[in-house]
Amino acid sequence: MTPAEIALLAAWCAALSLFALAGGLLLSGIDRKLAAHMQARIGPPIRQPFIDTVKLLQKENVVPANAIPWLFSAAPVVALVSSVLVLFYIPVASTMPVLGAYGDLVLVMYLLTVPALALVAGGFASGSPYATIGAQREMVTMIAYEFPLAIVVIGVAWRLGAAGISHPFALQSIAANPVWSVTGPLGLAGVFILLVVLAAITPAELSRIPFDTQEAETELAGGLLVEYSGRNLAMFTLAQAAKTLVLAAVIVAVFFPWNLSSFLAMPGLLAQAADLLFFLLKAVLVLFFAVTLVRVAMARFRINELVSFYWVYLSVIGLAGIVLLMADVVAGPLAGVGV
Amino acid sequence: MSGESKKAPYRVPIGPNHPALKEPVMFTFEMEGEVVRDVDFAPGQAHRGIEWMGMRRNPVQIVHLTDRICGICGVVHSLSFSLAVEQIAGIEVPERADYIRTIVHEFERIQSHLLWAGVAAHELGFDSLLYLTWRVREEAMDVIENLTGNRVNYGIVQVGGVRRDIVPEQHAIIEKCLATYEGLLDTLLSFFLDDRTIRMRCRDVGVLSRKDAVELCTVGPTARASGVNVDLRQDYPYAAYGDLDVKAVLPDRYLGETHGDVYDRIVVRLLEVGQSCQIIRQCLSEMPAGPITAEEKLVKLLATCKKATGEGIGRVEAPRGECLHYVRMEGKDSPASWKVKASSYSNLMSWIPMLRGSQIADIPIIVASIDPCLSCTDRVAIVQDNRRSILTKDDLHRLSAEKTRRLQG
Amino acid sequence: MRGLPLVPELVRQLFRRPATNRFPAKYLPPSMRAFLRDVQAGRATANPPVPTPPKFRGKIAYDRDSCIGCMLCVRVCPAHAIEFLPDTKKIRVWVDQCIFCSQCTSICPKSCLSMTDAFLLAGEDRYAEDLIVE
Repeated sequence: MTPAEIALLAAWCAALSLFALAGGLLLSGIDRKLAAHMQARIGPPIRQPFIDTVKLLQKENVVPANAIPWLFSAAPVVALVSSVLVLFYIPVASTMPVLGAYGDLVLVMYLLTVPALALVAGGFASGSPYATIGAQREMVTMIAYEFPLAIVVIGVAWRLGAAGISHPFALQSIAANPVWSVTGPLGLAGVFILLVVLAAITPAELSRIPFDTQEAETELAGGLLVEYSGRNLAMFTLAQAAKTLVLAAVIVAVFFPWNLSSFLAMPGLLAQAADLLFFLLKAVLVLFFAVTLVRVAMARFRINELVSFYWVYLSVIGLAGIVLLMADVVAGPLAGVGV
Repeated sequence: MSGESKKAPYRVPIGPNHPALKEPVMFTFEMEGEVVRDVDFAPGQAHRGIEWMGMRRNPVQIVHLTDRICGICGVVHSLSFSLAVEQIAGIEVPERADYIRTIVHEFERIQSHLLWAGVAAHELGFDSLLYLTWRVREEAMDVIENLTGNRVNYGIVQVGGVRRDIVPEQHAIIEKCLATYEGLLDTLLSFFLDDRTIRMRCRDVGVLSRKDAVELCTVGPTARASGVNVDLRQDYPYAAYGDLDVKAVLPDRYLGETHGDVYDRIVVRLLEVGQSCQIIRQCLSEMPAGPITAEEKLVKLLATCKKATGEGIGRVEAPRGECLHYVRMEGKDSPASWKVKASSYSNLMSWIPMLRGSQIADIPIIVASIDPCLSCTDRVAIVQDNRRSILTKDDLHRLSAEKTRRLQG
Repeated sequence: MRGLPLVPELVRQLFRRPATNRFPAKYLPPSMRAFLRDVQAGRATANPPVPTPPKFRGKIAYDRDSCIGCMLCVRVCPAHAIEFLPDTKKIRVWVDQCIFCSQCTSICPKSCLSMTDAFLLAGEDRYAEDLIVE
């Protein structure tokens, strides 16, 4: 790469990071507003997460006496950096992933665990029993949802591969060839099941009710984050916001990759803007059904119920989806549909 | 995991301030993984010395102090204090006053149970249900405000009767509120009882066996949910309950079986909301005309109370169970002794069998399931030189013997 | 929805007006004091609070002229909020101590004490001028 290319890449990365933080905070604001309206409240203004973050950034950073200081302070940085980093590998609107050439969906899957691991490290380093329990629960949760997540990733990529698309794990090819378009009716059902599974994993990834056992306000008083304050807490909040956007972007990229500009002819810049707005709209819709509606309509799961939910129910459902996809590949040529 | 016994138990403190607790109490849990092995708790964090204040005031003033013992059962404490004083001074309460007392008392039960249901939902992480029940609860609060002049500290009961009459225009308001609740009750029952996640979190959680419930002297919905047929309104009727047909609400009458778990406690409390509506309706239709107080002139009432000597006990079925006031008057302005035993006092010990063996996640809902009211319960705190000390059984026995001797003179 | 009976209600609620009363403003103003100053100066409008019912027990009102100084109110006040002024044989009510039980208004032989429906009494100064009635 020439220095100019590197500079351009860096500029893109900086812009995307800003977009990750601002977009994430905006999405959390919309989530809070929608949840409030469903509960017959007015709720905070949509800009509230921005106000909160700015305020937190100005507050004192308290490190508890029996914490491990370097780990305690490093964890939020790692969480924030890794959450933002994921977005570089995911297509946003009509922009192809900036670092798409260097990583695929499997890398995204692994990068998504890094913020969670940082949270666990920070929780153990806090030296509080609540944070310790929270960290244990976060680990268990992570192990629980990792398997259904892998099922979804492999299922989608395998189907694309079976349809003869090269680099099926690369997000460019996934976004360029919507998985719905390569499947027959059986496969459509299978893809829909995988979408439901991925949506069901989202609340656990974002530690939202009903899968927020690691933070569980009424049980652990904030669990993992109980000892964090000031700038460190702000970084975790920002990481959480970025992760919200990232997860929405993953679901959008894998299942709803269509762009407005491919349907309507528009001049370049306008098309970009329209696509971005359309992307945000899709993200809001995805998050509404995957996170907001779920979190207001359910009670919190116990940790053992959470594990059995993911390992037993979701895994079985996900495998059923894969079986449908396989049946689709077998039946496709016979029925003359699909590829 | 095979090394179950090798795992070092660790301690988790919860309280006195914790988001799970709406009232200050200090728990220490000995945990094994996520499971509670043992539990100890220390109440007495909210002692305010109300009885001490009462000893320096006359009964007319104390009635308003009793209103403030609890933020939710305003009428319970004042009613039970008044019953005790009326017993000592030989005051006959007019019938109409008894009916008005009953009506306000039952409205209080409605709002208290709905408040509890909301808190229970919140402890489960189900905030939508909290907002919904508390919104519904406002209907009862509005009626109470209309009847008594205030939402929380009603100040409607006074020794000898009540301070405000229910006028015909208010019948319509009460009727409207009752109709709302009767229409909503099935929906509320369905929201709580048909919800898979609530069922999963509450069924067979925090089980209190019938035997434990009896042995630990639990009262109110906590006892009834374990299948113990106790209800002061049916067993020792006071106010207008003698004329009414009140039967204790037991979970097996609705579900056909008794588990004695958190789920059953939800059932009992929600059904009691419906029962209270029926009682209020019956009271409204049967309420006789007449005076609302035995002594309209407060100055005369003060004189009667001053002359009274003797001791009296007022017992009332509070939303949380039996509430008891003991008063002793010795011909002075203020009582010689006043003792409050709130309903939660009898229920606290049931925490220990309920919590043992449960998971961390169940602690909030189990603690909340007896609807603890610590500010009602905390009648004593021993602080010397800024240090708290714990009284053993022997200490307590010695102190009680001393106090009895002192009271006997 | 079987199993999750609340969902239809939540979705319905999404399209209804929230139940919250917007008092004094829809969102918390950046500075409440500045907002209240603006309201007083007529630069901003505050949404009204939930109305109080008739015979609400709010801030106490005192008709000084008809008071005969019998001290009965002092005798029944549970909060010791009423001070008797021996020089003028009148009383002074410390509203910060008052518990709004309305017992003094019931015992007053001249009915010179009454409860108004004012309830917005929160402040930072216990001895502020509007919290002393005499």
